[in-house]
Amino acid sequence: MKANQLKIALRNCGVIDPENIQDYIAREGYLALGSCLAAGSREAVIETIKKSGLRGRGGGGFSTGLKWEFAAKPQSDRKFVVCNADEGDPGAFMDRAVLEGDPHSVLESMAICGYAIGAEDGYIYIRAEYPLAIKRLKTAIAQAEEAGLLGNNIMNTGFNFKISLKYGAGAFVCGEETALIKSMEGHRGEPVSKPPFPASKGYRGKPTNVNNVETFANVAAIINKGADWFASIGTEKSKGTKVFALAGKVKNVGLVEVPMGTTLRSLIYDIGGGILDGKEFQAVQTGGPSGGCLTVKHLDTPIDYESLLAAGSMMGSGGMIVMDEDDCMVAVAQFYLDFTVEESCGKCVPCREGNKALYNILNKITHGKGTMADIDRLKELAVVIKSTSLCGLGQTSPNPVLSTINNFYDDYVQHVVDKKCRAKRCRALIEYWVVSENCIGCGACKRACPAEAISGEPKKVHLIDQEKCIKCGACHQKCKFNAITIK
Amino acid sequence: MDKVKNVEQLKALQSALSKEAEQAASKKVIIRIAMATCSIASGAKPVLDFFTEEMPRQPLEFIVKSTGCTGLCHSEPTVEVTLPGKAPVMFGKVDVKKAAEIVNDYIKGGKQIEGIVEVSRS
Repeated sequence: MKANQLKIALRNCGVIDPENIQDYIAREGYLALGSCLAAGSREAVIETIKKSGLRGRGGGGFSTGLKWEFAAKPQSDRKFVVCNADEGDPGAFMDRAVLEGDPHSVLESMAICGYAIGAEDGYIYIRAEYPLAIKRLKTAIAQAEEAGLLGNNIMNTGFNFKISLKYGAGAFVCGEETALIKSMEGHRGEPVSKPPFPASKGYRGKPTNVNNVETFANVAAIINKGADWFASIGTEKSKGTKVFALAGKVKNVGLVEVPMGTTLRSLIYDIGGGILDGKEFQAVQTGGPSGGCLTVKHLDTPIDYESLLAAGSMMGSGGMIVMDEDDCMVAVAQFYLDFTVEESCGKCVPCREGNKALYNILNKITHGKGTMADIDRLKELAVVIKSTSLCGLGQTSPNPVLSTINNFYDDYVQHVVDKKCRAKRCRALIEYWVVSENCIGCGACKRACPAEAISGEPKKVHLIDQEKCIKCGACHQKCKFNAITIK
Repeated sequence: MDKVKNVEQLKALQSALSKEAEQAASKKVIIRIAMATCSIASGAKPVLDFFTEEMPRQPLEFIVKSTGCTGLCHSEPTVEVTLPGKAPVMFGKVDVKKAAEIVNDYIKGGKQIEGIVEVSRS
């Protein structure tokens, strides 16, 4: 049977006009908040969320209900609800889609959370690079305040809840909740060690509950339809659905939402339509820079928090990049490390220096200068970085390296021993050659070559000087006769 | 919008609005144009402008709605057309020319036209 999508977090995206609150209300909008306020029991709200089995959709997978309970317990004059909209994984845009397509669902659920934990102030920490999402959120907040569904004395129940926006400057580490709170306070976006957890000491030292956009997008639906309904979807430990940004070498790139427990195979082949141009599937990267590359043997893995971890990757926030036979897995690991090195905040040594060292070794390997000892060093270093880094960024950043070594060990060996790149991606390990039987001597390659490495008389077979060749591939692109090959 | 005074009033408003939407669907042509960042980047704005200018000239009851992401990155810009009492049909890679074809051939002409995207609905 072909797998189908099931839209809970994205239930209104593409259906309603996000700038019209009446569209949202017609689809049961703000009814969940209304019923929570009418019922008058904070404990009951937390109990419903706990019972539903909802877990953090930012990647951590922690029970949302428990998190709310921890923030509800402490006595404090002020508490805060924070929505983490600092989406930063390469190729991931789940949160942007929700905020642009259904902003009220996030606002309503933040208010429900505020009621449950006893907070009157909510903040959405959003990347300044999301101008349209910011605009629609501002419109939505203004409309909800005008309608008396946010602000003071909501629906005359005596409950007050205001929501404001805080802008992030696009630092990946600020998606980590303690770094996010530091950034909100106007400090450098650096994580601090936990405990204390934000639930007891967060924004401005007050109890703070931080949830991801997609997590919030599920809350109102759970209140409306009940915990049992939500818990009936998914697997034993992972309930509900997950949104994925399906990207890479797959036919139907896009945003999809599937029940937990759907296999990678059905996501990639049924919903994604399979691999582009009839090529062979090679790997799928889940969990972004913190995740791992899974291979053909993992295709029947059900998508849930535990199974992905057991397979050597993780759920993450929902980035999913599909790779085909033309992708070099060593270069992929290097790409993610490049990202991590750039985004490490630099506070702790293992992450700041360790990732740089990992990157340098990978660079050596992709340039044909690696040794077998380097592969062992990569593994050793990766384990140390994972176990000694301060926050989630460093604790997971070596995952792409470890998973590619585990699943594509032969590719590493080929780079090191044979000095070859199977996918012909690593420039230092490839050579461009003229196929003499195909070359008609048109001279197109010679004119295209910026290094003057190609010689030959008109209408005679040309020759590439390997000493001079800079491997830019210009000749390969220009040749219309299939007369340039990559070795 | 007026302030909602209590939860009961919200419930009444919700049921009135959803009834209104149901009635609209039974007699009006509903055109939804995805207007998320990605849709706009691939050219949805001129398509939205076309429908908002063109539809009032037609002898039809209609609603043109700009929505968020439909998740169909591979086919943006997307336009979903729901004829009265019919199932919604999603068109992909719509430009102004295709939009005119949708109005003339699909909506008014009742013909099957190319460019329909298969959507997995729940």
